[in-house]
Amino acid sequence: MMQQLRTDLELADRAAIATYLQSEFPFLEDAETLSPYVGGRAAGLERLQSFQLEKYGKQRNFLDGEVSRLSPYVSRGCLTLEELRQWALKQPRSRSVEVFVFELGWRAFFHLVYGEEGDRILQDLEEPKVPMGQHQRSLPADIANGTTGIPSMDTLIQILRETGYLHNHARMYLASYVVHFRKVSWRAGADWMYSLLIDGDFASNHLSWQWVASTFSTKPYIFNRENLERYAGSVLPGDPKKGDPFNYSYEALAERLFGGAYTPEPTGRPTGQYQ
Amino acid sequence: MPQSTPSSPSLIWFNEDGLNPGHQMVKDYADAPRVYVFDVPELQRQKISKHRVQFIYEALLEIPSIQIYQGETVAVLLQLIADWAIREVVTTETPNHIIRGWQNELQRSVALTTYPDIFPVTDTTSPRRFSRYWRKHERSWLTL
Repeated sequence: MMQQLRTDLELADRAAIATYLQSEFPFLEDAETLSPYVGGRAAGLERLQSFQLEKYGKQRNFLDGEVSRLSPYVSRGCLTLEELRQWALKQPRSRSVEVFVFELGWRAFFHLVYGEEGDRILQDLEEPKVPMGQHQRSLPADIANGTTGIPSMDTLIQILRETGYLHNHARMYLASYVVHFRKVSWRAGADWMYSLLIDGDFASNHLSWQWVASTFSTKPYIFNRENLERYAGSVLPGDPKKGDPFNYSYEALAERLFGGAYTPEPTGRPTGQYQ
Repeated sequence: MPQSTPSSPSLIWFNEDGLNPGHQMVKDYADAPRVYVFDVPELQRQKISKHRVQFIYEALLEIPSIQIYQGETVAVLLQLIADWAIREVVTTETPNHIIRGWQNELQRSVALTTYPDIFPVTDTTSPRRFSRYWRKHERSWLTL
């Protein structure tokens, strides 16, 4: 019923830790790889030191751009939001500083909503703005396994499974793909991502999925080929042009996905396709 | 089973949202035993990944004298409380509804001291849209 674990393992020998934990928790799916995210406050502070904040403002939405990758350390409490805010405000003032603090604010906002709503955030907080009544309640196996046949999405799923982390924009792409393109309930997707993320917390994760789904926002979040190529093109493999579900303008995409229930504002970018 | 009976009447219980060896509670209760419990039923129910388990374990190794258990959280803690004659459990606040449930359950048997989260802005009302939240609090957030 109650078993004590060893604490004499060397933090530096991560492979030995992985082997030991697998023996203690045989029900865990063996990741086979070590995540590059080393646990602990010291590792978090080290990552903070190497974070090039001055690049963050311009690059943060790009999958190969400079982002802090500190969310595992913040979510697990190794670093606090307040110390990151103070650290940022002590740097030379710039748009990057303000944008970084703004993003910390998002995290705090989700935290506050969760604190107030409790486990109600596991259900729709608002009526969806597009039809979702027929959405599948369980996650299809091809999504869980990263075998959807769409190389870009499969790559994101593979990164998530192998590292326990995804860039925020990649999380949004995946969530949108699962909910709006595959018509799977946001809750099934959110539970799945929560289980895989090192930084999995109900506040940031489940409320972000609700934001994408439109049950905690005014509209559904969707992306098209043009957006994917712009922000993720350097990281992801190209997808086949034939049958590409993303290769439409936002107006055409909304019509295909929601049948007129939602019309996006004109973007001024008419094609939405491969450039 | 624990190796020895601690002399402190208090026990520090770390949860997965507060793995900070430099936390004020560790300083305030320097002599208290430090405990973490991997809740096996919850790990299984949520299908938590090995990467997260390893991250937590590595973070725990940074906490001097930490004792790590696996089992059901409340049952393990109640056992330790009985074995060590603990009168107070000290922990950190989290919005996590599962951990809060354990905290509530524990509170029926022992005094629970919870260290609050330190937030940049202390207004805890949450308008449903971030844009409204930010308009209201931007200046506080961007001021040291």
